[in-house]
Amino acid sequence: MFQRTIVTAMAMTLCASTAIAQDLPQASSEYFTAAQANLEAAIAREPNTNQATNIILFVADGMGVGTNYGIRLFQGQQMGLLGEEHNLVYDLYPNTAIIKTYNINAQTPDSAPTAGAMNTGVKQVFNTINMADTVVHDDCSTESPLRLFSEMLSDAGKSVGVVSTARITHATGAAVYAKTANRNWEDEAPEGCTDIATQLIEQMEAGVIDIALGGGISAFAPEGTELAVGSGGRPDDANLIERAQAAGARFVYDADTLAAADAGAPILGLFSGSHMSYEYDRPETEPSLADLTAAAIEQLEGNGDGEGFYLVVEAGRVDHASHGGNAYRAFTDGVAFAEAVALADEMTDDENTLIIVTADHEHVISFNGYCGRGTPITGLCMGVASGQVEHSGEPALADDGMPYTVVSYTNGAGSVLVEQEDGTYAGSRPEVTQEAAMDPDYLQQALIPMGSETHSGVDVALWAKGPWAHLFGGTMDQEMIFHVMNHAAFGAAE
Amino acid sequence: MNRRAFFATATGAAICAPFVASPAHAYEEQVRLRELYNNDMSFTDFALEQEGKRVAIEGFMAPPLKAESQFYVLTNRPMAVCPFCSSEAEWPNDILAVYAKRVVDVIPFNVMIVTRGVLELGTYTDPELGFVSRVRVVDATQERV
Repeated sequence: MFQRTIVTAMAMTLCASTAIAQDLPQASSEYFTAAQANLEAAIAREPNTNQATNIILFVADGMGVGTNYGIRLFQGQQMGLLGEEHNLVYDLYPNTAIIKTYNINAQTPDSAPTAGAMNTGVKQVFNTINMADTVVHDDCSTESPLRLFSEMLSDAGKSVGVVSTARITHATGAAVYAKTANRNWEDEAPEGCTDIATQLIEQMEAGVIDIALGGGISAFAPEGTELAVGSGGRPDDANLIERAQAAGARFVYDADTLAAADAGAPILGLFSGSHMSYEYDRPETEPSLADLTAAAIEQLEGNGDGEGFYLVVEAGRVDHASHGGNAYRAFTDGVAFAEAVALADEMTDDENTLIIVTADHEHVISFNGYCGRGTPITGLCMGVASGQVEHSGEPALADDGMPYTVVSYTNGAGSVLVEQEDGTYAGSRPEVTQEAAMDPDYLQQALIPMGSETHSGVDVALWAKGPWAHLFGGTMDQEMIFHVMNHAAFGAAE
Repeated sequence: MNRRAFFATATGAAICAPFVASPAHAYEEQVRLRELYNNDMSFTDFALEQEGKRVAIEGFMAPPLKAESQFYVLTNRPMAVCPFCSSEAEWPNDILAVYAKRVVDVIPFNVMIVTRGVLELGTYTDPELGFVSRVRVVDATQERV
């Protein structure tokens, strides 16, 4: 099917501009008519200047433009399409921007200050969260906290939720509620500073955070404490789960207890010891990202005040899979992310809900050519065939006479250079079969040997719909996300 | 068991395989490490059937926790140590503890190996290291695939 979503929705509105096109020999092409339908939709589009009752910020950690491309083809091919023609649900959102992701002191960003920029409106320092630009990483005495969008909205009567498949104390989720000179102070911090898990409970007690769902239960109970999932790992004797419950929060820990939770905040949901499972490895007892997102929306809408909510949803493990050099899990977690976006979209109204979909940074993922249409995105690059649309079925060969995968990473654990007994690195590109390349555990070939594949400073994309989404456009700095959300929530009412 | 606890309890003494070696069989099933675990971390039928038998498991040798050891951890995918993913304290769930016949020659973490030995199931806490494992291969040898 060709551009399936757009074409089916817009097929009846083609009349106007086809008058220009009907004399062209290409006018009957599916590409042409689909583009005409898109044109009509763009012409008919009107900006939504309503005040946003709800704002949902979706962040797929490490899903830059390249990674998103891989997820798009992966999902399309799962659906039986060639893949390239497919669109992820948010690919079709009417408003987009290119987002610059650098940190104050880093060309290549990390997830803490990037998420912080989204939540405060300013760039931040590498490895810190929601601190002024004077902060020195890892120096507690230099902490100078900023005010958060969640705090502003809470003061205005809205509910706030945070959902992540990573530890809920990990960078992206933490940036919704925490302020720290070191993103790694998840379960302990130097004297005078407060660890991130404790900050979450403090923000729940303060009424800022109403829903927190994710992994990382070990940071919430003393080391050795047996818990519903995993065990505690805190070096102090604080049981933060009990503290949250004493403050009125309900605690859930698996798919069943999440589903059984009555509507109304607050809820603390911790579903694994550390990060939650990759989607490919996820047991049924663990909720999916779509399950978490739906539950959060239901709970936030169900608190009865009608004031609306701010929800941040992170697909935290797209990033981790790429760090591990494993494109298969990056793409499967990306598909789970897209499914969560689609569900949230269905559950909310474009008239009053601003949905933003973006990433915090890209990875050093790259896509080799020249591959024919329908080449499996996690497999070998198959040649372009003359006289047919689909690829030739024969792997394209490099100058060394061997095939290569579509995806590769510039650095990481998949490096073809392997450490030798004398400590030097040497190696050559191994021959890869299609079966090996398509295996879910395959690590794509990389060049520079590194224990963990790295982020990249390359731009990411942003897609948006709903109130004031049209303010996104062109190339923007990441902190603009805060400013548009802030205007949608508050500025529109002035 | 995690790395932090491991370091806290490791004595530095040479590690001895705590199991009696079993005689080698002529035929060993050679499978990937992932064939031992279901998604919910229960053991697969294959693992249950092979308990006490000699097996050959493909995986990757995690960077050893100490030098001159007979002990190492086999991982399903190369153990990428990511500063933004996991702390030093964390192992993935789907690992295999290996007690080798001899002191192990370290193989780089991203080179696939096959470990041959006797499959042992059930939680076991190493009395010297404190390392808690759910599945082990003992009396093991290893080589590059």
